[in-house]
Order: sequence, then structure tokens, then C-alpha cells
Amino acid sequence: MLLAYKIPNKPTSSRVFVWRKVRKLGAILLHDSLWVLPATTRTREQLRWLANEIVELKGDATVWESRLTMGIDEEKLIASFTEALEAEYRQILARLKDKDRDLAALSRQYQQAKMQDYFDSELGRRVRDALAANGGKK
Amino acid sequence: MKWVTWQNVGIDRIGCAWLIRKFIDKNPEFIFIPEGSTALPKGAEGFDIPGARLSHHGGHCSFCAFLRQYKLNDPLLKRIGRIIDEADTVQEANVEPAAAGLDMICIGIRLASPDDATALERGAMIYDALYAALKAEQQGAQQQ
Repeated sequence: MLLAYKIPNKPTSSRVFVWRKVRKLGAILLHDSLWVLPATTRTREQLRWLANEIVELKGDATVWESRLTMGIDEEKLIASFTEALEAEYRQILARLKDKDRDLAALSRQYQQAKMQDYFDSELGRRVRDALAANGGKK
Repeated sequence: MKWVTWQNVGIDRIGCAWLIRKFIDKNPEFIFIPEGSTALPKGAEGFDIPGARLSHHGGHCSFCAFLRQYKLNDPLLKRIGRIIDEADTVQEANVEPAAAGLDMICIGIRLASPDDATALERGAMIYDALYAALKAEQQGAQQQ
């Protein structure tokens, strides 16, 4: 899925508002203006409404479902999605080893990360299991 | 009255249909048109269709648009609106842990139902249940 949009420079709050939302979906920015996300029921729905919001903020937006034919390797593209996510997962695993770790906070961090896990990361499953197991210990 | 929305209902539209039947129109007729279609049948009110009056506005779900347009001020309905917002739109802060669960249940209701009309009917029970639970929570808090 691709999202391309233009939004008036002022107010800057509109730009920031949209930018934060695309970031929260875990989208990747290509060529300064094109946001990329894997196509799922959820991203389709979310991007559709986000485009709608951009229009309400007096901008223009187009949402595409497309296929990569050349330029970058699809695997590299997938890797750029998983790299940031797995760094987050590794951080959780590392923090789990701390004596005074905050399991509740780490669980929330995991849930946030999981929302951007579009490729069912193996590491993600390990984090899930580790969190669940640690919660049972006294 | 005739109410039109896209096929394949989810959390927001199941909630809207519940709200319509309960608080707005005792005898609603729901019509489902193909996703992406913007041609509404004559005399019908569209909801949760991009650009419609009763749809997403200002980053909030269609359920919230109904609350605004029909001046429904029940704080419990506002809570439900917030839960749907967190499930259905990108919100920076998440304060309703029920959101993710309700979203999944609504996806499942549609998958497990033969058609959209049945999904709305079954989903209404879930929203009755949610409303009852929120009400009990509120009363519990008042007794403290």
C-alpha cells in the first residue's frame, strides 16, 4: 500500500498530526513523500480514513495498492520494516533480564510493537513467550 | 428509515447500527452496498462511507459522528466512542484496553456470520454487553 499526500504548510500542527499517525502505523518513507505499508485489512482501512482526514485538513491524498517492479529489492524493503521492529523487540528482551524490570511497562511496549509487526516476526513470538513466562514467576 | 453502508461491517459500523436502533430509529432498514461505492439509494442516509455526514471526521470514528450529530450526551456512549476510536483510527494515546479485544471480536462476528445483516444483529448483543459492563463499572466507582 502506498500513501502519497500534500498538505498545506500552515498550520504546522496538521502536518505533524498526519506525520505522527503514519509513523504510528509503522509506515516507511520512500523518496521524501511516499509512505509504504504492507497491504492488510487493517492498513487498507486505516489509510483510507487517514486520506479522508488529510482532505479534511485541506490537503490532497491518494492511496495505492501496488506491486514493486524495480528499484529496490522487495526483501530489502521487508527488511527495513523488520529492522526497526526487531530492535524494539531486542530491547524488550534485554530489559527483561534486569532485576528491577517493569513487566507491565514492557508488556505495553510489546503490544505497541506488535501492532507494527506485519511479517509475523519470530523474535516477536519469543518476546511474547518470554513476557508470559516471566509474569508467572514470583 | 433506510441506512446505507459498505459491505463487510466491522467494529465501527456494528456499533453505529446498534446506536441507531437503540437511540435514533426504532425501525431501521440497513442496506449494504459494495465497498468503494458512493452511489447511495434514494432517500437513504449513508454512514461510515468516506465523505458522508455520518462518517469519520477530525480523526474520530463514525460512531462519534452519530453522537455529535444526534446530540447523544450519555458519558457511557462517549466511552464506547473512545473505545471504537482507539480500535478503528490511529490515536496517539491509548487509554482503553478493551479496544483491541472488541475489534477482534467484531472482525470475528462478521467472519462467523453468513451476511452483514446477521453480523449487525449478533454484534448488537456485544454492544449491549459492553454498555452494561461500563455502566456497572461507573456505578461501582460511585459507590467507592
